Amino acid sequence: MINILEVILVLILLTVLLSLGSTRLMALVRIMVLQGVLVSLIPLFLKSHEILTFGSVVFYLAMVIIKGILIPALLYRAVKHVSIQREIEPFVGYHASIVAGLAVLLAAVFMANSLKLTLPEGRELILVCAVTTMASGFFLMLARKKAITQVIGYLMLENGIYLIGNALTQHHHNLYIVEFGVLLDLLVAVMVMGIILNNINHAFDDVDTTLLGQLKD
Amino acid sequence: MLEAIFLLPFAAGIVAFILPAQLGRALLVCTAIGHLVLGLMGWTGRLTPAYNQFFAGSPEGLLILMVTSFIFTCIALYSFSYVKETEISQKRVFNGCMLFFLGTMSMVTVSEHPLVLWIAIEATTLVSAPLIYIHRSQKALEATWKYVLICSVGIALALLGSFFVTLALDIVDTHQPLSFTMLNELAVQLDPVWLRVGFLFIVIGFGTKMGLAPMHTWLPDAHSEAPSPASALLSGALLNCAFLGIYKAHVLMVNAGLGDFSGNMLVVFGLISMVVGGVFILGQSDYKRMLAYSSIENMGIIAVGVGIGGLGLYGAFIHLIHHSLIKSSLFLSAGNILLGFGTKQVRQVGGIIRHMPKTFVTFFSGFVGIAGLPPFGLFVSEFMIIVAAVRAERYLGVAIFIAALVLVVGGAGRVVMGMSFNDSTETIAVRETFLRLIPAYTLLLASVVLCVWIPESLYTTILNSIQAIGGIHG
Repeated sequence: MINILEVILVLILLTVLLSLGSTRLMALVRIMVLQGVLVSLIPLFLKSHEILTFGSVVFYLAMVIIKGILIPALLYRAVKHVSIQREIEPFVGYHASIVAGLAVLLAAVFMANSLKLTLPEGRELILVCAVTTMASGFFLMLARKKAITQVIGYLMLENGIYLIGNALTQHHHNLYIVEFGVLLDLLVAVMVMGIILNNINHAFDDVDTTLLGQLKD
Repeated sequence: MLEAIFLLPFAAGIVAFILPAQLGRALLVCTAIGHLVLGLMGWTGRLTPAYNQFFAGSPEGLLILMVTSFIFTCIALYSFSYVKETEISQKRVFNGCMLFFLGTMSMVTVSEHPLVLWIAIEATTLVSAPLIYIHRSQKALEATWKYVLICSVGIALALLGSFFVTLALDIVDTHQPLSFTMLNELAVQLDPVWLRVGFLFIVIGFGTKMGLAPMHTWLPDAHSEAPSPASALLSGALLNCAFLGIYKAHVLMVNAGLGDFSGNMLVVFGLISMVVGGVFILGQSDYKRMLAYSSIENMGIIAVGVGIGGLGLYGAFIHLIHHSLIKSSLFLSAGNILLGFGTKQVRQVGGIIRHMPKTFVTFFSGFVGIAGLPPFGLFVSEFMIIVAAVRAERYLGVAIFIAALVLVVGGAGRVVMGMSFNDSTETIAVRETFLRLIPAYTLLLASVVLCVWIPESLYTTILNSIQAIGGIHG
């Protein structure tokens, strides 16, 4: 079983690197679908995971639907609506972004090995994967100009946090209803961001964040 | 049922989206009064939670709930008149979101589970975003975008922090359901490394929402672009809710024996916020932005007070109450000025004393209050925090604290004096009305009354709030 887990973790890392190097927004949205589904699958393959109950099945199903279908659908609509295909002139180039992603990965491995944290057996890889995903999400938010890429960066950050919350902590402390609340918040957040994006596009004819600079001291 | 405190505004919010705007406004006021009654019942312990795994009435939570409820009642009365006289295209959205906002904030105050607290705080961001965008200008759009994105990312970090705290729990062998009470009981057994990391992320995360510098960048934009009733609510109620998240984490740290670490961190963030607030108030050209920076400074004062502990902790809670009362009153006065003069620019406003004498009284006494002068309560609380800091021999901190206070008084004084007494040929677009004045007066009066006479139950509640981490003599 542990092997499948590692395969999924590696796939998640690949989606992270792919997203850093992707030049097209549509491709980015597709990568996010894959990443969302992979992240939702992780808890199912954990060794210590209890036998599946009815509640947990419903919860994981809801999670796959929200992360794999609903949120990407919102992103897809936003990309379609604002009719932009390419992220032109990023603040940091694509190749440099991938190199940065690899550097983050190395730093995460180093951190997980050297800090001597008290972690359950065999969970170091999850920590590495989660930290890399979070840091790359942050990087994406800072290094790209289009507002929609920032939303995607935010989602990646959330995915990383989710990995820590659901895969790293022992499960009996958290309840499905509470986690569902967290997920619902995320969904509404993306929805609200989508609405604002749409309005930004109407007001400025573009979703470039450099246009949003009127308010300052 | 304690949950009624947030379920009532939610239900009313849904109804307000359906009702015509006229009736929605009346509903806003009715719900506010109903909420105040429910809050008082919760305060006296007559409401018990139905789901005590998720919700409970903690003293600090109830204190912030009462402050929120009182302020909201005043603001609802104000909005009743304000919305009628301003150009707002979607009045139903305004009414509905105001009620949802009240509901989510009430949920924050009664939550007992760390993740429920997180869910409620994130929800406050989402339901208040439409309020900021209500004027539909390009600037409002920018402010809303910044608000939603910066706060969401910040709060996501707080979620990470909460997860780290649950990780700290993994080495303890317990099968109790997760809650703040349970965490505090087991505090000494928790893994200190994960607790520290968790607290760091919680302070950065909820600190973003609370307006602690350097994560405060959304705050001046959002406060200046939102309609005045919403600004008053953001500043007077929302920031307290975010503070509650940090405070609960701090209590946990103190119980775990890591109080020095968390206290020092709060003092550092607090002092940075005070300096940033003070510096940006100097030479500020927009009076609503000036009030927003003053909120950053006051949140800094609260963080410093909590970080120092003892008398400073008591002072911090007094400060929280009075800041909410005075600042929301000031934002309501600013709303009157904005309606009258039609501009947020300090230079284009003049002679409030002649044109709007009744607003002048509230605006100017609000300034006196926020500057920390008697007879308003901020004088007492700031004094207490300084005394506590001197007792703790943190002289450098005291020096920065006082310097920042002086900066704020100087900067805000220049702006307020100019606006009040300069000559101006402007004509007043919208006259002062009774309904838009009474709330501002009530809030200020409440601050003065609480300064000279603190009801017994309020006093004991504050003491109970700080009992867990050493109390007033700690």
